Amino acid sequence: MSFPTGLKPGVNETTFNAEMKKILEIALGIVTSVGGFLEIGSITTAAQAGADFSFQLIWAILLGGLCIIFLVEQAGRFSAVSGRTIPDAIRERFGFNYFALLYVVLGLVSLLVLAAEVGGVCIALELATGIGLLWWAVPVGFVIWLVIFKGTFGIIEKGVSVLGLVTLCFVVGAILINPPWSQVLRGAAPSLPQHNSVHYWFIAVSILGASISPYLYFFYSSGAIEDEWREGHVGINRIIAIGGMTFGSLISIAVLILAAMIFAPQGMKVEHYTQLPMLLEPVFGHKGFWLLVASLGIACLGAALEITLELAYLTAQGFGWNWSENQPPIAEARFSAAYTAIIILATLVALTGIDPLTLTIFSMALTAATLPVSIVPFLFLMNDSTYVRSYKNGWFSNAVVILIMALAFVLAIVAIPLQIFGGS
Amino acid sequence: MDLVRDCLDKPLEDRNHRRMGRVDGIVLELEEGRPPRVAYVEVGVKRLMDRLSGRLGNLFARLARRYHIESEPYRIPFGKLHVGLNTVKADVDAEKTPALEWELWLRKKVIGRIPGA
Repeated sequence: MSFPTGLKPGVNETTFNAEMKKILEIALGIVTSVGGFLEIGSITTAAQAGADFSFQLIWAILLGGLCIIFLVEQAGRFSAVSGRTIPDAIRERFGFNYFALLYVVLGLVSLLVLAAEVGGVCIALELATGIGLLWWAVPVGFVIWLVIFKGTFGIIEKGVSVLGLVTLCFVVGAILINPPWSQVLRGAAPSLPQHNSVHYWFIAVSILGASISPYLYFFYSSGAIEDEWREGHVGINRIIAIGGMTFGSLISIAVLILAAMIFAPQGMKVEHYTQLPMLLEPVFGHKGFWLLVASLGIACLGAALEITLELAYLTAQGFGWNWSENQPPIAEARFSAAYTAIIILATLVALTGIDPLTLTIFSMALTAATLPVSIVPFLFLMNDSTYVRSYKNGWFSNAVVILIMALAFVLAIVAIPLQIFGGS
Repeated sequence: MDLVRDCLDKPLEDRNHRRMGRVDGIVLELEEGRPPRVAYVEVGVKRLMDRLSGRLGNLFARLARRYHIESEPYRIPFGKLHVGLNTVKADVDAEKTPALEWELWLRKKVIGRIPGA
């Protein structure tokens, strides 16, 4: 490798290596975010939106994506600068009573979402083998536990997410199916429904619940500590948050486009998981079936690992226990016991035989209904200089957080009534 | 020092930088004719339940008694503490205190018995 003359090669080499390391870190971060973005919630809600309302609900995915970009960026910035996670600071700044509320609400909702993700992996396995999905619940639960018990944070974060890039097949499919792009673009602007308005708004709320998942930004915050981010990572964090969540949202939009092109013209509704392979089969033939199985299985497994860890992190951080996925389980027995118990509970919920698709839609609406509890603290923490020093939110970021909070309160009010009247 | 802001709910570490919980409660001593004095900080689920509701705390204590589990919070004299910006450091060995009782029990009886732990 040659260097410009007149400069010390050692210095340049160091700068070059540092730059390369930064680029690699950004690329890996974006890949991780993209690969880890899609899960049963985003697949199901996007497919239902496309089947029932063609391209009309693309705006909801874009709005959810925009919200999650801001929340993830702020969660990463907070942890990189303060060396603390968001739940840790919530307990300290808001006291135990608020933390207890957050813990109970987020714990219950995340447990349902986790059970839905376990169900998603089971669906993939049933589609692949023909063996009923209930038979798979315990083995899937065991695999999730084993990966966390034996793996490190890097394996879980990067390994599963890199495999999750198989979900890009939805984007390839959406391009190959050649949709009417002018209509796709029109769907990016919010519009009122021409029919079945209650169901329209219910799907919109579910999409927002699937996109603005608290586990995503809480996990990201803990991940920043696991990856030992420092103040110097603030810029990288911003690029990863914007890049990763934007590309992730594009995959959800691709699912919606495929459903709009395949299901909507036939008047088909997404009512059963056996319909999901039809999203890719018309484009890729029989390979599409296997691509769907791989995408669903890997995406849901990745999400299940992240949610399990996030719930264990939340518990350990809130109560001040030792926690790190990079430590051997024996060094943090309570943390290990916490994720073991969480997996057992989620597997038991999956074993009840609740239809995974129904559970998914229900838990996404419930996520939307409980968003204020986890979003309100952002406004305070991101303006507290004892944590974020000179990296406080500017007026624009604060305005966006206030808008997201307002949206979260609206969702909290309308989610349950819409679930009752528009859920089917 | 603002006790609630600077000390309550802060992470608690022992002299070996081991996390041993959080400051779940603060005990003040009142003596006639003297200003209140900070005597101890407390670590334990019972105190957390008390903070949510006195009834919940009592219910937790009754349940613990039924199963012969010690429910009273562990107290650390305030003189043994150094209240820092991010953590409260206690001049104790956490593994020799009741604060890590459950951690050690789980390590010995459950997690430690799993191959590869």
